[in-house]
Amino acid sequence: MEGPKILFTIPYLNINVTETVVDTWLVMAVVTILCIWLTHGLEIVPRTKRQLAAEKLVSMVNNMVLNTMGHRYISFAPYIAALFATSMIGSLSSLIGLRPLTADFSTTLAWALLAFIMIQGNNIRLNGIGGWLKGFLDPVPFMLPLNLVSEIANPISMSFRHFGNIAAGMVITSLLYSALAALSSFILGWIPNEFVASIPLFQLGLPAILSIYFDVFTSFLQAYIICMLTMVYVSGVDSRE
Amino acid sequence: MPFVSIDVWTIIMQWGNLLILLWLIKKFLFKPVMSILEARENEIKNMYDEAEEARSTADELKTQYTAKLNNARDEADEIVKTAVKTAKNTSDEIISDAQDKATALIERANEKIEVERKSAINQAKNDLSDMALTIAGKVIERDINAADHSKMIDKFIEELGDAS
Amino acid sequence: MLERAIVLAASAVGAGLAMIAGIGPGIGQGYAAGKAAEAVGRQPEAKGDITSTMLFGCAVAESTGIYGLVVALILLFANPLINLL
Repeated sequence: MEGPKILFTIPYLNINVTETVVDTWLVMAVVTILCIWLTHGLEIVPRTKRQLAAEKLVSMVNNMVLNTMGHRYISFAPYIAALFATSMIGSLSSLIGLRPLTADFSTTLAWALLAFIMIQGNNIRLNGIGGWLKGFLDPVPFMLPLNLVSEIANPISMSFRHFGNIAAGMVITSLLYSALAALSSFILGWIPNEFVASIPLFQLGLPAILSIYFDVFTSFLQAYIICMLTMVYVSGVDSRE
Repeated sequence: MPFVSIDVWTIIMQWGNLLILLWLIKKFLFKPVMSILEARENEIKNMYDEAEEARSTADELKTQYTAKLNNARDEADEIVKTAVKTAKNTSDEIISDAQDKATALIERANEKIEVERKSAINQAKNDLSDMALTIAGKVIERDINAADHSKMIDKFIEELGDAS
Repeated sequence: MLERAIVLAASAVGAGLAMIAGIGPGIGQGYAAGKAAEAVGRQPEAKGDITSTMLFGCAVAESTGIYGLVVALILLFANPLINLL
């Protein structure tokens, strides 16, 4: 099992561009094209299913943000939509043979760190730097290390959860494929024709059932969860309600 | 790259990618849809306002029409009443005229009858007196001076007439 | 060579041991699912809310198992110990 391959290196800066980043660009292109396609020719009286779908998507994200974070954070909706779309489509890209971009720990760590920065930023915005620092001494100064650890554990658990789920799905799928290939060659191996014997017959159909759970369901669930956790943590420091 | 690895440049590029996608989604999905939703809300509000206005106008017109209709009904009642009154007066007049005429006719007829009766009675008196004269002449068998006895006979007949 | 073999074998055993962490989330998620089934039985009209809450809780509870899995994956595919030799 290999990590993401380095596809090319940007000269002079010596930046390695990995498979993950290129896949992300593909996902971004797909999402952008989808958005443009969904929203071209909008009318006040909706006449096409396309427009209804676009409105449904936007109102769904808005409702999710409203229910979880409250109306003060409604400007978060596009960020949540972007995060959800990238995570979901990025994870689902394993269905068409790409390496899922969330199976790269750097990706999920980037998102979790972004969430961490937003959490702390929101905390500082609401309580001021003094209040933010004092929050770590709550309820007694003795708790300082524990508070620090629990704050730092947030992004780590978030990123590991997402990465682990998708990577586990990928590992299990590839294990299953190799096992089925071995089974095929074991059963069909006695056929003298080399070409027929090399057909991985059992790889047909069977992995699709597992892929419904490991790719489709997990992709959706993990995208939902990373969005939910980001929203809950960011608005969680807000005690006004 | 190893399977579980942290690559700083990948992290930075993923941040950039996510922020760019955020911008793209905002520009291409949220802005148009939100603006269209807002436009629809405004339009619905306008439509409600217009409907409200139309309804109030209709209410006003309705009260006006009701008032007019009531006036018209009153007028019609008045006209009918007047017409009925006039007709009644006319018919009363006609009837009283007819009654007057009939009464006059009856009176005239009665008068005529009276005259006829009187003349008939006079005729009968004359006849009777003549007859009495004749009879008396025959009975007495002498010439009775008609002029002498005529008074007596007339008196008799008078008494007869009174008696009758 | 022998040291390398020992490290690899120990890593494989360690990966297997790390996956024992799967017990915890298994019990926890089973418990959560049972409670959710109870809740649906008590209030069938709130099925959607209960299901999404349960999935969310399950996914959060899964983290400990995922940590074990990640440790196992690191030991198997990105072994840092082998470089220490």
